[in-house]
Amino acid sequence: MMGKTTLPEGFSELERFVPDWAVTHSADRAARRLDSTSEEREAFFYAANDLAAPALALLDSKPLAELDEAETRLMQLMLSLAHVALAVEIQGDDESRHAVGARHMTITRASADPR
Amino acid sequence: MANQAPQQVSLQDEAIANLGTGPIPAGPYYRADYFELEREAVFRRTWLQIAHLSELPEPGSFIVRRVDIARASILITRGRDGQLRAFHNVCTHRGTELVSEEAGRRSLFSCPYHMWTFSDDGELRSAPDFERFYVDKSSCSLPRVAVEVCAGLIFINLDPDTDQSLRDFLGPIAPQLEKLPVARATRFSEYTYEIKANWKLTYDNFQENYHLRFIHPRSGAAAVGSDNPFGYPVKFGFHGPHRTQTIWSNPEAAPKPFQGFAFGKALEAALMDGCEMALAKDYFAIFPNFFMLGSPMTPFSHCVIPIAPDRSRGVIRMYWIGEDRNASQRFAREYQMATARDVHAEDREVIEAGQRGLSSGALSHIHMQEQEVLCRHLFHSVDTMVNAYQAQKLAGGERV
Ligand code: FES
Ligand SMILES: [Fe+2]
Repeated sequence: MMGKTTLPEGFSELERFVPDWAVTHSADRAARRLDSTSEEREAFFYAANDLAAPALALLDSKPLAELDEAETRLMQLMLSLAHVALAVEIQGDDESRHAVGARHMTITRASADPR
Repeated sequence: MANQAPQQVSLQDEAIANLGTGPIPAGPYYRADYFELEREAVFRRTWLQIAHLSELPEPGSFIVRRVDIARASILITRGRDGQLRAFHNVCTHRGTELVSEEAGRRSLFSCPYHMWTFSDDGELRSAPDFERFYVDKSSCSLPRVAVEVCAGLIFINLDPDTDQSLRDFLGPIAPQLEKLPVARATRFSEYTYEIKANWKLTYDNFQENYHLRFIHPRSGAAAVGSDNPFGYPVKFGFHGPHRTQTIWSNPEAAPKPFQGFAFGKALEAALMDGCEMALAKDYFAIFPNFFMLGSPMTPFSHCVIPIAPDRSRGVIRMYWIGEDRNASQRFAREYQMATARDVHAEDREVIEAGQRGLSSGALSHIHMQEQEVLCRHLFHSVDTMVNAYQAQKLAGGERV
């Protein structure tokens, strides 16, 4: 993936997170959160945190149905960030304990899921 | 409103005076014989929330829902006339379950066994070699089940003799539900969980705040504060078997930075959807096993479905108005669902631990404090129906 640009201009810092976190379905994002290490979650959260506002501003500029591949990946990163932010910012070092119960909460449908 | 003090529960309050203060028997939370009574006395004769209008978007749409505690499978159709109808999903020939899919679009339903075919209004349309039977087609319609809608929420009533409309059942709660996003929702996010616990024990967890600070130290931080260390609600309300509460929130709790950013997006989206904020802190518990939060930012419902005396299934839905309008709204909906899911994830384990304790039979009674009055009210509402049912049986079947 190194050197290849798969995200819109200005978001190259997030390029290294694309393979792990650009995920299509909400249930898979939640699972990815549970299967990741705290180092992986923190690296993603602290890199993406400040880019969320500009990323959503860029994506808001056109209808969701018209996002191109690079923009779709950026959208998916933002959706994964929603899950990861809860782990890093809210749960903190409680996340591994929290994960035990979270595994039983099965996402069956999400607004962001493609239909 | 946010810094109002928690409500002191006054036993002079007419609505709760008859609930008393005594211990509550433990048996109803684990015993198989009590569960059997609930099956007949409560679930087979009460309005039950079962689906949402958005699941039957057009003429010809149908869904099938299993109601485990009534051992029933229910077929709900939207006819070509737009009309909603519900039936037992049972072929009237020799009882085979008619439709095996969970949802779809179709206006004719053929039984796999001998191909009796029913239309979406329940009438028997055709049956092979029917001349050899000794009945009329008109007496072979699918058994009807009462179905009514409030605020987009579909309810059924399995009592063939029910004379109570859904509106009468919901009373003053109906017009309030109509003001919530769910009434205009066209889609939803959903997550579910299986739990080894009685439905009342599970439900009770979500109608008391006594546990918040112990079970949700991180995710519930904004729900407690020095003015209200347990995060007790500012108001309770009782309407027949239903109940409401108004949630307190800590005026001093500052959200974490990213959380604040996400909440901002959610608020923006709710305002663009034209949502009312007046009921944002209200919680509506619809008897027996459904509740809904009034918040347009976290518009979730929770149904605790009884499976066995010590087993239930939870279904949580966040009801949304319209497709995701833009990236920010899509992001906000994902964050809000994940937030609610995090809180619910924390409750499950301790509820199961409670069930293990109760199922051991070690306790004859459990105790409920004043701020667990909603749990006490649920028990009394159920027990009143169970007692009436038993009295009716003793009296030889007449309804009392
Ligand atoms: S049981 Fe359905 S057609 Fe025979
Ligand atoms: Fe809880």
